[in-house]
Amino acid sequence: MEAPMLEFRTAGFNPYAVKYSPYYDSRIAVASAANYGIVGNGRLFCLGLGPQGIQVERTFDTNDAQYDIAWSEINENQLLAACGDGSIKLYDTNVPDFPVMNFHEHKRETFSVAWSPVTKDTFASSSWDGTVKIWSPARKDSIKTLPIGNCTYSTSYCPSNPHIISAVSTDSHLRIFDLRTPVSAQYHLINKIPVHTPGPVPLPPGLAPPAMPAEVLTHDWNKYNDSVIATGGVDRAIRTFDIRNPTGPTSIMMGHNYAVRRLAWSPHARDILISASYDMTVRLWTDGSTMAQEAPSPIKPGVQLGVMNRHTEFAVGLDWCLFGVGGWVATVGWDERVLLWDANQLIRGRG
Amino acid sequence: MGAADRLQQISSQIAGSKSAKEKLLIKSPDDIVVTACLRTAFTKGGKGGFKDTAAADLMAGALKGIIERSKIDPALVEDVCVGEVLAPGGGATEMRAAALVAGFPESTAVRTLNRQCSSGLQACVDVANQIKSGMIEVGIGAGVESMSLQYGPSAVTEFSELLESHPESANCKVPMGVLSEQMAADRNIKRADQDAFAASSYQKAGKAQQAGLFDEEIHPLTVKFEDPKSGETKTITVSKDDGVRPGVTAESLGKMKGAFAQGGSIHAGNASQISDGAAAVLMMKRSTAERLGQQILGKYVAASIVGVKPLLMGIGPWKAIPKVFEKTGITKDDVDIFEINEAFASQCLWCANELGLPLEKINPKGGAIAFGHPLGCTGARQVSTLLYELRRRGEKVGLTSMCVGTGMGMAAIWVAE
Repeated sequence: MEAPMLEFRTAGFNPYAVKYSPYYDSRIAVASAANYGIVGNGRLFCLGLGPQGIQVERTFDTNDAQYDIAWSEINENQLLAACGDGSIKLYDTNVPDFPVMNFHEHKRETFSVAWSPVTKDTFASSSWDGTVKIWSPARKDSIKTLPIGNCTYSTSYCPSNPHIISAVSTDSHLRIFDLRTPVSAQYHLINKIPVHTPGPVPLPPGLAPPAMPAEVLTHDWNKYNDSVIATGGVDRAIRTFDIRNPTGPTSIMMGHNYAVRRLAWSPHARDILISASYDMTVRLWTDGSTMAQEAPSPIKPGVQLGVMNRHTEFAVGLDWCLFGVGGWVATVGWDERVLLWDANQLIRGRG
Repeated sequence: MGAADRLQQISSQIAGSKSAKEKLLIKSPDDIVVTACLRTAFTKGGKGGFKDTAAADLMAGALKGIIERSKIDPALVEDVCVGEVLAPGGGATEMRAAALVAGFPESTAVRTLNRQCSSGLQACVDVANQIKSGMIEVGIGAGVESMSLQYGPSAVTEFSELLESHPESANCKVPMGVLSEQMAADRNIKRADQDAFAASSYQKAGKAQQAGLFDEEIHPLTVKFEDPKSGETKTITVSKDDGVRPGVTAESLGKMKGAFAQGGSIHAGNASQISDGAAAVLMMKRSTAERLGQQILGKYVAASIVGVKPLLMGIGPWKAIPKVFEKTGITKDDVDIFEINEAFASQCLWCANELGLPLEKINPKGGAIAFGHPLGCTGARQVSTLLYELRRRGEKVGLTSMCVGTGMGMAAIWVAE
């Protein structure tokens, strides 16, 4: 695909995550790490989109790698970085160099941060130490700790219900917590879905997802249907689950040649998602939910709508732009590049 | 945090989903590894080479052997745990003294424990867990028993009225031979099958001994021995199991009289021998072993402990083995060698058959029927027997297990490197 793209180089740093500002269509942040996040510093790039292309507005350096970021939902200048030393740092783009808050309870690498999209007064983090923690941006100590028990790669809030939090981890499970339940009952855990288990219904013909447990690296809530979650991970398959009846996946998308590192549902269409993988590609999918039911199986085979293969190293981060006509995405890879491009071009290019 | 851990995490994500066995074989800096393991020869209770050697002396010899073989600075060993069943007071005082005489400094702590026939394994597992939790960095799990000097009716005290009043509780003191005879009858374990299993233990052990397959694991000890005929005390070096009898067949065993019941199926030839011996296992994290330049023989993975009915103590492995599989995610097909203690041919055979374990994978160098079962020692002995045999064959995954008096079972998974 040869569609036009905007590009920025994070020289000396390998990006891990990219996020559009929820306030401005011209602001993007990138979390990155020296030496592929294995050893060395991290750098947070706050980027501005202008007539001259992508410009650095501010950078924040950390002593250890940065693996994820989340923009504040209540202050347009603030954002969180998830750091390799287990800390989470809150930066203000008007305050140079140092974080305005430092949250340090995780005992190992913090791998993800997510800001509550509904009440906007809390954020969640997940870590290699096997916990998810819930924080208030105004307090140094966490409000709650949810035990997962193994390396937890990503955590996320339900987009419509502020009490519901999800997490995926090494043990091949998607967990759902409802903070309204009493803590005495399994620390708010209400659902533990084995992602690899095929479920009781027969698979659609020709679809053979791996049935072995595998690390789940990423997940996201559908923005239109708050009972649908998509997961991706080491077994290369993307699956969607209806958490009201989680006996098996509702849709399966196969195509990536290596682990799926990150995925995100479109904010503009209920069936569209995008995924980034160690196979260096970014792929656009429909989960099949809007297509006519033809197969005998209730499990929908998702359809790949396009492949973006401009990254020359692992593609690890992506985000959809909330603004404009819809369809613009930002992707980052270990090739030290941030690429902004129009996913609609992929579909058109396909036709 | 650890760059090596991060690198390994990313590479495993790229390598893709792994089977439970592949995961087991991954080397991680936090692995609890064995850098030396050995045992003394096992000799017959009351007449073998160690009949006049105290348990503490056996243990001192084995511990000395560990220091010699591993060349570890003894001051780095923070704790020694010795499984011992029959010694009064658990042998706690004697074992502390044994560690000092073996060359460990006063800073090396020592304790004993008693989980009957699994004491040696429990000692290894306890030390592994101490290392895992960060309580210590380097430790020794060990086991010892002098059945010559300490076996007898005084091993169990009189049961109180309270214990006698509870049927299952009272069952705990039924002698193992008697209850195993009953179990063999109830579970229909035929005398001929028991004898065949026992004969094969003798034959395997005989072959292994001839081929020198025990030489690596056995640490020879020089001890005093009183000749029963002349009454003269000599100094001898014991380096071979003396219970391994050549020429034992199922037919020859078939002629022996039942030991626990008239016409019974269990006899001296198809039950474990009463023996003396000691064994020890040096453990630490892989990162520690690499820092100290220790040779890594294998690693400890996981262990399980279960309870069963006291009268059915022999079925312990049948319940413990699936439990350790559940913990590790592997299946019986992933295991290359099973070291299952042959307390009685009847129970070992029954467990193997119930679990569907292939007999050729069980105790390939023979077992307690052929060379003995010094109670507290066996669990630690199995580690040496297993790891050296896996290494010799170029195989990886091993399991050790045993039934435990009063109705328990224990199992552990090990990986040779």
